[in-house]
Amino acid sequence: MSEAATPATSVKPYRTISVPRLLRKFGPLLGLVLLCGVLGAASDRFLTADNLLNIFRQSAVNALVSLGQLVVIITAGIDLSVGSILGLCCVLVALLLRAGVPAFAAVLAALAIGASLGAINGILLTKLHLPHPFIPTLGMMNVARGLALVISGGFPISELPSGFRFWGAGSLGWIPAPVILVVLFCGGFSVFLSRMTAGRDIYAIGGNPQAARLSGVPVDRRLILVYALSGFTAAAGAIILAGRMNSGFPLAGVGAELDSIAAVVIGGASFLGGVGTVSGTLVGALIMGVLRNGLNLLNVSAAWQTVVIGVVIVAAVWVDVVRQRAAQKRSN
Amino acid sequence: MDSPILEACHITKSFSGNKVLDGVSFDVRPGEVHALVGENGAGKSTLMNVVSGVVRPDSGEIRWEGRPIVLNEPRDARALGISFVHQELALVPQLSAAENIFLGRHPASRGLVNFREIHERARDVLRGLGCEIDPRRPAGELRLAERQLVEIARAVAFYSRVIIMDEATAPLADQEVAALFRTIGLLRGRGVGIVYISHRLPEVFEIAARVTVLRDGKQVLTRAAGEVTPDDLVRAMIGRELKERLELPAADRASPEEALRIEGSLDLTIRRGEIVGLAGLAGAGRTKLMEWLFGARGGRAGRIFIEGREVMLRSPVEAVRNGLALVPDDRKLKGLVLGAPVLHNIALAGGRTRLFIRRGREETAAREWIGSLRIKVAGLDQPVVYLSGGTQQKVVLARWLHAGARVFLMDEPTRGIDVGAKAEIYDLIRKLAGEGAAVLMASSELEELLGLADRIVVMHRGRIAGELARAEATEEKIMHLATGAAH
Repeated sequence: MSEAATPATSVKPYRTISVPRLLRKFGPLLGLVLLCGVLGAASDRFLTADNLLNIFRQSAVNALVSLGQLVVIITAGIDLSVGSILGLCCVLVALLLRAGVPAFAAVLAALAIGASLGAINGILLTKLHLPHPFIPTLGMMNVARGLALVISGGFPISELPSGFRFWGAGSLGWIPAPVILVVLFCGGFSVFLSRMTAGRDIYAIGGNPQAARLSGVPVDRRLILVYALSGFTAAAGAIILAGRMNSGFPLAGVGAELDSIAAVVIGGASFLGGVGTVSGTLVGALIMGVLRNGLNLLNVSAAWQTVVIGVVIVAAVWVDVVRQRAAQKRSN
Repeated sequence: MDSPILEACHITKSFSGNKVLDGVSFDVRPGEVHALVGENGAGKSTLMNVVSGVVRPDSGEIRWEGRPIVLNEPRDARALGISFVHQELALVPQLSAAENIFLGRHPASRGLVNFREIHERARDVLRGLGCEIDPRRPAGELRLAERQLVEIARAVAFYSRVIIMDEATAPLADQEVAALFRTIGLLRGRGVGIVYISHRLPEVFEIAARVTVLRDGKQVLTRAAGEVTPDDLVRAMIGRELKERLELPAADRASPEEALRIEGSLDLTIRRGEIVGLAGLAGAGRTKLMEWLFGARGGRAGRIFIEGREVMLRSPVEAVRNGLALVPDDRKLKGLVLGAPVLHNIALAGGRTRLFIRRGREETAAREWIGSLRIKVAGLDQPVVYLSGGTQQKVVLARWLHAGARVFLMDEPTRGIDVGAKAEIYDLIRKLAGEGAAVLMASSELEELLGLADRIVVMHRGRIAGELARAEATEEKIMHLATGAAH
């Protein structure tokens, strides 16, 4: 038995370098670089420092919301309520500020409300045994949007204090503040997913909920945490958006849930759960931002932009399916 | 005596060089119940798959009313009038009982289903079986026994002349079994031949005219039920020559310290260093017992004491916290996160109280387990989906060793594992016990239990039917308890 004689410490990390593995890891990034190359060739205004910073700034809200959506999708779930939670938090933070609440307190309150609404999604899912996260988050999507309209009376709440507007419109040197926020959040989520027990539990739940449960993973608690995180990032998105627009408007974030799902999926996460990374999601959000920006520069109408984005979403996932099927064939 | 409707003559069938059926002959006459018994893996299912057209035999002949026939696919068998009522009921829960009965051949005109006709015909068929189920009720709302009747009604509506029932009474309560037997009586009166597969010998004697015993793919016995005793059947099922014991473990390695005790509708104590075998036939409740102990299943079968302290195990989280480990019966479904790397699968249950993962320590520990359990993997990052069954099972065991479990609940720990890996798992279980762990091990392989266990607890229909000390335990005694023949 030669295996028996091998010392235990010789078990190497299994990190063979192969084209499919590289493609899996860097595929979305490669797509982003190619896209930038094409758009740079098509428009001389695209590859300028100002424009690139602009893209980062414009992608920030989607990137933040997508981080929460990513964590949900890793558990094989979906969160349809993030756009509405964003809208409600946008209105609430503006109202608090207009009522004279200090900026940091208003921000903390908005984040807490976003996280609580998300946690309610999780509680509905796990304690009421609703059959699929689609249902509680669809309900919350309507409830939160409705509340945003009720509270605001349907009108935007404008003229916010400048101290608050920093996170949406300000910058540190030449770096836009929202970009700093996105980097901080990405770092935090990265640590959470790869270094924390709860983060790894989330991958296990997405990969096989039954095995996770029978291994002592507190599945319900983790799912509630996951939806709370998603609500939290939606609220963070609301703070950026309210700052940038200088108002809290009740229809903020309409469609944000679908944009975030698109970014996560383009970034290589699997709808079946258990797979997905922060870096991929960030690249996915940037691909969407670059596409919108580049097509704008090329004077493509907003209507056609939507068509292009739809095609990109399907194509990105299809490429992933083709790659996986090829890998499966090779291993059989 | 009537001549047989369906005959299988000298059927032989091999799967990848493994002879599953070896010259088996079997027949059913009109209005007769012919019981087919044997241990798990004796070849019963394969034989029935042959006569229902699912599997083609390598050699041998199938005759229908005396004429040789060839069954290429299940449809051919159904067209003749052979129906299979499966153990796992195959009804569409959303459809009504009537729609299920006529599924796939609704009486229809010009593409429109005539529901009134379906309901009336379904009611007639069900009445004919002596039951009053409303044919409009969705199958999902019916009780298990009623669903079974719907399946039988389905067979009757097909004008079946031979109905094969595979462990039909396994999920039923006593009075439901009685009702099923009345239905079988009605079917017999109409000249339907019934093949009755069961683990429960008292039932076989109650209902069958003839019995056939299969063992390791061979036909051991075919006799009129009145000419044999339960003892004869048990002996035929396990074979006269009792197989060699795996090994005699060191006597009395168990310490007097109790590790796990259950009090209530089931009474069971396991001491530290002891391996307790849990025997029982399919559906006896072994998996249920283990999952209940592990907090993974509701209900309250009794009080649980770990190391003398009473504990409430409301969820697996609490079971793991109390030092319990569950090696589930279905590795892929319940044991492993298949797409995740070896490292994560090993580390999943350990270090649960920590907020952050200690990567370095975890990797070192995982490498040590991989070395000491001889887990053959390419590396810590390899997804477990690509590993062999035995290697996967070792990953599950490594997880619980890593978590520091002290009481191991193992449900069929060697199912679907090759011989070499089995021996390694046996060694591991012995070593665990030698180091003071308590092991409760359920297995359908009696040899395995006889070779490993210090005591064998036998379950029958959700209860403990008896307990055998190592010295007195034999396959025969276990089978007596497990089939209920002892009562």
